[in-house]
Amino acid sequence: MAAAKRLKRVAASQPGFLNLKTTLDSVDSSSSRRKRVNKNKKKNWNKHSDINDVEDFLEDVRHQERTTGGLLSEKSDDSLFFLDVGKPEKAEQKEEVVVGKKRRGKTSRPLRIDLILQHDSLVPPAKDVLAYQQPNAKKLRRIAQKAEQLAAKGIVTRRQKRLANRQPLDRKAKKSVTEANNNPARDYYDIWGQESKDSSDPWYLQQTGKKLVKRPEKLNDKPSVLPAVEVIAPGGSYNPDFFSHQALLQEAHAVEVQKQKEEDRIERQLAVNQDDKATEDTILKEQVEGLVVEENDEETAPNEEEDDVAVGAIVLAEKKTERQRKREKADKMKEQQRHSERQQINQQQQLFQLRSIKASIKQQEEKTNQKQKLRKANQEAQKSQPRRLGKLKFKPQDLEVQLSNELAGSLRRLKPEGSVLKDRFKSLQKRNLIEPRERAKFKRRHKLKYVEKRAFREIT
Amino acid sequence: MGGLQKKKFERGSATNYITRNKARKKLQLSLPDFRRLCILKGIYPHEPKHKKKVNKGSTAQRTFYMLKDIRFLMHEPIVGKFRDYKVFVRKLKKAYGKTEWSAVERLRENKPTYKLDHIIKERYPAFIDALRDIDDALCMCFLFSTFARTGKCHVQTIQLCRRLTVEWMNFVIASRGLRKVFLSIKGIYYQAEVMGQLITWLVPYQFAHDHPTDVDYRVMATFTELYTTLLGFVNFRLYHSLNLLYPPKLDGKAMSELKEEDEDDYAMNSECYLEKLSALSASLSRVVSATEEEDAELDQFPVEGEDTEKMEAREREQKQQEAQKKLFEGLKFYLNREVPRESLAFVIRCFGGEVSWDKSVCIGSKYEVTDETITHHIVDRPNVDKQYINRYYIQPQWVYDCVNAKIRLPVEDYFLGVTLPPHLSPFVEEKEGDYVPPEKLKIMALQRGEKPGMDRTEEDEEEEEDDDEDDEEEEEEEEDDGGNDEEEETEEQNLKTMQEQSSQGKSLQVKVTPGKVTVENKARLEQEEKAEEKRLAIMMMKRKEKYLFDKIMFGKKRKIREANKLAAKRKAHDDAEKSKKKKARK
Repeated sequence: MAAAKRLKRVAASQPGFLNLKTTLDSVDSSSSRRKRVNKNKKKNWNKHSDINDVEDFLEDVRHQERTTGGLLSEKSDDSLFFLDVGKPEKAEQKEEVVVGKKRRGKTSRPLRIDLILQHDSLVPPAKDVLAYQQPNAKKLRRIAQKAEQLAAKGIVTRRQKRLANRQPLDRKAKKSVTEANNNPARDYYDIWGQESKDSSDPWYLQQTGKKLVKRPEKLNDKPSVLPAVEVIAPGGSYNPDFFSHQALLQEAHAVEVQKQKEEDRIERQLAVNQDDKATEDTILKEQVEGLVVEENDEETAPNEEEDDVAVGAIVLAEKKTERQRKREKADKMKEQQRHSERQQINQQQQLFQLRSIKASIKQQEEKTNQKQKLRKANQEAQKSQPRRLGKLKFKPQDLEVQLSNELAGSLRRLKPEGSVLKDRFKSLQKRNLIEPRERAKFKRRHKLKYVEKRAFREIT
Repeated sequence: MGGLQKKKFERGSATNYITRNKARKKLQLSLPDFRRLCILKGIYPHEPKHKKKVNKGSTAQRTFYMLKDIRFLMHEPIVGKFRDYKVFVRKLKKAYGKTEWSAVERLRENKPTYKLDHIIKERYPAFIDALRDIDDALCMCFLFSTFARTGKCHVQTIQLCRRLTVEWMNFVIASRGLRKVFLSIKGIYYQAEVMGQLITWLVPYQFAHDHPTDVDYRVMATFTELYTTLLGFVNFRLYHSLNLLYPPKLDGKAMSELKEEDEDDYAMNSECYLEKLSALSASLSRVVSATEEEDAELDQFPVEGEDTEKMEAREREQKQQEAQKKLFEGLKFYLNREVPRESLAFVIRCFGGEVSWDKSVCIGSKYEVTDETITHHIVDRPNVDKQYINRYYIQPQWVYDCVNAKIRLPVEDYFLGVTLPPHLSPFVEEKEGDYVPPEKLKIMALQRGEKPGMDRTEEDEEEEEDDDEDDEEEEEEEEDDGGNDEEEETEEQNLKTMQEQSSQGKSLQVKVTPGKVTVENKARLEQEEKAEEKRLAIMMMKRKEKYLFDKIMFGKKRKIREANKLAAKRKAHDDAEKSKKKKARK
């Protein structure tokens, strides 16, 4: 305690020191009794010595430094005091205006949390020593020194060589990879001229997937023998010859007639048969059904009985006598003999028929030949036909035709018929490159609910 | 001990095929992706011979693929790209949903794309394979390049198609390869010969599009994707075969001519070059500075087995082609505003003509209307206000008909306001005995160098024709007896000779003339001898052969009869027309 008092005294005796807090004195008065403690141990020194006053003093110093930027005792009077002459009125008004403005602009006011976190001490923050230090400085310095030495001698290290030899990074190459396929400014090259320069092991290339798999030869066959572009018939000219135009019209007409026939057939099948319709007679019959006892039933009954009798009686075959058997056997033998003789004679006779036999054979061969030819021709014709590749059958496009009165006399007044796009699309289908499809129909998953709006209901 | 039980559908055709859905699952692709892959790789569905066996007893209609094809597809690197793209779309959707715009941008930058170069190389191992398959590509590209940029497909695709087609047209002009043109109601058919291959393509008329709804645009776009790649590589190769620069550059001289101060009126700077190229009015610059084209003569191989007739025929054809290539050389055309500029410019330039048009129509016009050296002015309206004396005012069909006829046709039939002769299809090839329209006969006569009877009046012609018909019966009989000794002769010639003969006969009947020394016509005698030989040969025929011969002759006769019938019909039609006209005039 005594030490503390001494310290306090020391602090107080500092020339020109000003206390900021005045509460320190009250602590002194409370500690009147003195405790006796051995002071031969350092532990006790720490435990029982009172350093509060020193602490307080130091705290006070720090406080002063924090709030005013230095000790108050060292400040000049001008910085501590000012002459109070009362507030100027104008300034007040201005301040109010400023406040009003500030309130309007809410965003300009800083958040309270920011204010709390603001660095409000006037003591400058301590220097971060580590910030000025460089890790491995020594090593780096040494390396730099060595490099300088080598450079002075004119030696190029391996590392530098490698750096120099490094290929420049291809930034453009990456761009070309991401370039879209339909870029209008894309460039082409001679794809057929250059041979593949890869000379490394084909096994390696194959196993690592770098070599493309060979395309089977069969895939290069076209699925149809039809030409890519089928030229329209001469009647399709914009200024056609009379007859070719008529021929084309005839063709289109035939197609239409066929279509009409098909439609008619379906209609006919769907039509109600007149015989199936109920007439007055049949209606009456139906109504009377079961009320009138028919006499026919009685007539048919006896017939049935007769049948029953016929079925019921099993006719037993009578046993053959010995003689009969013998005769039958002999007959059979005779028959066989006659038959074989006949055959022999026939064979002998065939010798004389050789010519006619030959002729018949020839005829047969001719027939088979003809059949073969026909079949081959059919197969050839099939090749140019569209195949059935899916659910739907190929439907040929409507013939493009302009009627005689639609024909334009000059190129200027020509009205193009049909669409080239559709023509191309159908051609692809016809050549079996794609399967015919129909556009998917829009299907509503949930039913639409109709609700009358109130405004509408009010009117009606 | 009977061994393993045989199960149904485990061997044979059932194992060679796979249904579309199974194939799709095997490749782990969605249906649109699978379809796209198949189109790109050239793998098409296949109709099995025994559907029920393949379909495991079911008769439902399904789409089948060959299993081996699908296995081949599994090795395709593009499949991986498709899967990547799927993931990319998913990520992009997610980023959008979370409104993470930076993520969206990053994803967009790294959008997975793929190239089709290796597929082109794989599907067309040689250049000639690609050239044989170019028809489709051309049609598709020309079609897509005319699309409006309305979002039916990517604008970029349209631009690329436009660029490729312009390049192609410029190549055809440079190589002078165009052979046939046909204006149909659907579009314009062109046929060109490139490296010995006949290539046909169809170009739609401009602004003629209604977008049909029953066409799958996605499929078409996929085909176009493949074909643009193909056409680009083919173009490159073709340009290099002619020593032209690729991408095409306009000739320096032509370029300076085209340089105009008001370029900005036509197109933006970036598009200006393509526009100039597509004007088709300037020639292209070559890698080697333009040398004089040496005329490559047909090598004469002394082949003994080949008869000289064929050789001669081939030579004649070659000569004709050469002549056709220079059809419009030295002519100067001017296109009026209402004619289809691109098509006409293309055709005219293909045959060496010079062409220009109104400044307001397109960039790249070379000279004005007022130019005195213009020889042909193409107009498609009934009359023109101000006409220059030293040029022909003709309708556009003349150009096309000239190309198909391979000669410069007389311009009289194509003057302004004249009813045009029919535009015949050059793609029809008549066989012997078929009906040939009279217009074609006229052209054929012109091709042979004969002067058609222009000075003769129409009435005369009709009379002659009448005579012809009278004599036709006799002529046929003669032919039967003498066989078909006249080979490769057109009907026209037949008729003419017949007519001469008949007229001679008539004159003999009417007049009595002093005797003359009959001049022995050697050719005639020879012919008669030949006919005699033939008759004898026919007499010597076996019964069977004779039967066959008669049959053939009957068929021919029938054909001729039908042709004659058509001709008569035509005449009746023409007469009716004529009388109508006369009435109208009165």
